[in-house]
Amino acid sequence: MNAWREHFLISLRLHFRNRLALLYGYLFPLVFLVAFWVLYRHEKVPLLRHMGELLTVTILGGACFGLPTTLVGERERGVWRRYRLTPVPTWVIVTSTVLARYVIIVTAALLQLGLALAVGMTMPEHPAALLVAFTMAAFAFIGLGLVIAALADNVPAVQALGQCIFLPMLIIGGVAVPLGSLPEWAQHVSAFFPGRYAVDALQAGVNGGGFAVIRFNLAALALIGGAAVLAGVALFRWDVQQRFLPGAGKAWLAPVLAAWLTVGLLAEQRGRVKVAPPVSDPATAVSVAPPAVVPAAVSTPAPLPVPPPVLPPPPPKPQPAWTKITAEDIAKLDFNVPPDQGIVAPIAAEDEEPYDFMIEQVNGVRDKLPAWGPGAEADDVQAVRNILCVAAVPDAIQLPVERFLPRVAFERLQDLYPKDKLVQILTYIALHPEDGIVLDNINDLGIEGAAGDPMQVRERVYLYAIKFVARLTDRFKRPGN
Amino acid sequence: MSTPVVVRDLRKRYGSIEAVRGVNFSVAAGEILGLLGPNGAGKTTTVECLVGLREADAGTIEVGGVDVRRQPAEARQRLGVALQSTALPDQITPRESLRLFGAFYRDPLAPEVLLARFGLEDKAEAAYATLSGGQRQKLALALAFVNRPEVVVLDEPTTGLDVHARHELHSEIRRLRDDGCAVVLTTHQLAEAEALCDRVAIIDRGTIVAEGAPDSLRASAGAAQSVALRASRALPPDLVAGLNEVLSPAQAGERLTFRTRDVTRAVPEVMRRVAAAGLEVRELEVRESSLEETFLRLTRDTEGRS
Repeated sequence: MNAWREHFLISLRLHFRNRLALLYGYLFPLVFLVAFWVLYRHEKVPLLRHMGELLTVTILGGACFGLPTTLVGERERGVWRRYRLTPVPTWVIVTSTVLARYVIIVTAALLQLGLALAVGMTMPEHPAALLVAFTMAAFAFIGLGLVIAALADNVPAVQALGQCIFLPMLIIGGVAVPLGSLPEWAQHVSAFFPGRYAVDALQAGVNGGGFAVIRFNLAALALIGGAAVLAGVALFRWDVQQRFLPGAGKAWLAPVLAAWLTVGLLAEQRGRVKVAPPVSDPATAVSVAPPAVVPAAVSTPAPLPVPPPVLPPPPPKPQPAWTKITAEDIAKLDFNVPPDQGIVAPIAAEDEEPYDFMIEQVNGVRDKLPAWGPGAEADDVQAVRNILCVAAVPDAIQLPVERFLPRVAFERLQDLYPKDKLVQILTYIALHPEDGIVLDNINDLGIEGAAGDPMQVRERVYLYAIKFVARLTDRFKRPGN
Repeated sequence: MSTPVVVRDLRKRYGSIEAVRGVNFSVAAGEILGLLGPNGAGKTTTVECLVGLREADAGTIEVGGVDVRRQPAEARQRLGVALQSTALPDQITPRESLRLFGAFYRDPLAPEVLLARFGLEDKAEAAYATLSGGQRQKLALALAFVNRPEVVVLDEPTTGLDVHARHELHSEIRRLRDDGCAVVLTTHQLAEAEALCDRVAIIDRGTIVAEGAPDSLRASAGAAQSVALRASRALPPDLVAGLNEVLSPAQAGERLTFRTRDVTRAVPEVMRRVAAAGLEVRELEVRESSLEETFLRLTRDTEGRS
């Protein structure tokens, strides 16, 4: 065991002496973190919903690049050939290398987690599940790293092979681009890559359901990792001259690919592939709404002040909660929201004109809005929330027209409700961001696309509610004031 | 005590090429055996089979009385190896590497002992990348010695070293022998083999074509002497024509070299002919064949035979 310990320790020590390895191992994950933080800087809890992606990228980097680069580099130099002249068995060197790599990846992840907490992320909800998910993901990707090391003859080949696994997983595998914003075919493809299972499992440990919801993901990672480790050890090469034998080599790749295929097929069979959480399903959202009673055919565009068509709740019913909103509650809102000219929850300035191709979309929404069912819900809070979705959904999809629809929604809300009441309802919505239902799309208003992520829509609804309250209560600071 | 190295009827084939076809040799404790041979002769394959980097197809290999093919790990406990292609990670220090490799064995020597013995104390904490070629070779040798081996195999130990470093390394290798080690070394440099080895085995085309002490090998391989002569002017082209004692003559301008088994008859006759041609002899050298010449003749002869 002395041999194991010494090799484990020297592996770690050499890693910490290698500047390039430190750069890749520790700086890159932090750069990714900062990039995500900037990209999603206006989410309520910074980075909380992206830790799964960030940690997966860290594991991928350490396991699929760092590990094989070290292994192949040492093999190229003849270090492994030298080890082979000693009585130490292969497994001792391989397992100590792998465990040292695991420690390196864990420290990189802890650093990442620490920085995330420092910028305001909340503590992971299920630390134990997170650790298990992290370990399984590391196991799966370290296995792939071993396969890469066996296949690659030199370090540049490691980079090339690593990218072949890394990039597709990043882009269409659900690692860097949320699955919800990918086309359906890509969601199906991603089911055959281990990346999404890692992201899912890690995310569940950070702010999801913990162990209860990650059994499939853990099993998928274990299967992929097990097959890869088996192949990686079978194909293990001590020596550069020990060429990768095409016949025997290909045979050993079979279990690796079989594992990916099995996981993908199982996921398809169990209907785990499509990412469309029921809450954001438009059919459900609309069916909850009772047949809308649209008072009078108010198809005229908004400018004329139309009397509020929704009657106040009948007296016998208990007063709805929003009526209890006081000026104090309103003052308590966090008006420190992203600027109107930014990319999150933007609102076009009053003198800003949409491009020609957007004018049609904006007018279409304005025309259809008065007769739009979800906007005439019996429950005022839900009706206002739905109309806020007219602003929030295009923002979440990041459509070019996103900047102009908030004004249409705001006009419509002002047409529907007296100012004080509207302020109260909007404040109530902003103070209860998790309540009710948000829409996934506004296709029936002629805007194509789906948000995919209800959390994002909720967040935008929250921001627009505050922005509208600010405008209604003269807290809105015009640029230049 | 059993003979530290025994190789019997070793065979190894790569596809249709039989790289080693029946190699036999043994090395006693306190003996240095030099393995010589041209590139592709089977020398490297023989060494790789001996140290367990390659699996032999047939034959017996014993190191310290242990069958290498049956108990490779046990054999490696008794074997120290310094290969030409060995390298260590750039950032590791000599002390760390000695400690690491020591941990791979049952009964290692302490790093301090080896550092002192191989003159690496000053460089004990230096990164491998900063060591000179000679220091790296010394470290390779120290690593080969970390497990107190009965047998040491050195593959081209002095290639790429300057004269001084080579000299130092030679005395280290002699010390290993004096400590009772059986040493097997391969080399391209015949002068090195001549200076260092107690016994030399010449491998060609997968078999040992000659074996013995450098001196006796020279003697047995024809016992011829070399003669080199320089005249005052260009020699006539048919100078040595019809002289049976003159073997493989080579003539260029005023220079003539040849081999002979009978110096006392060949040289006076050649001198007489030079004088008859109206020339003077400016230089004349007679010497015993070097190992290199023996080596070349032996390996050239096998080529001729096949």
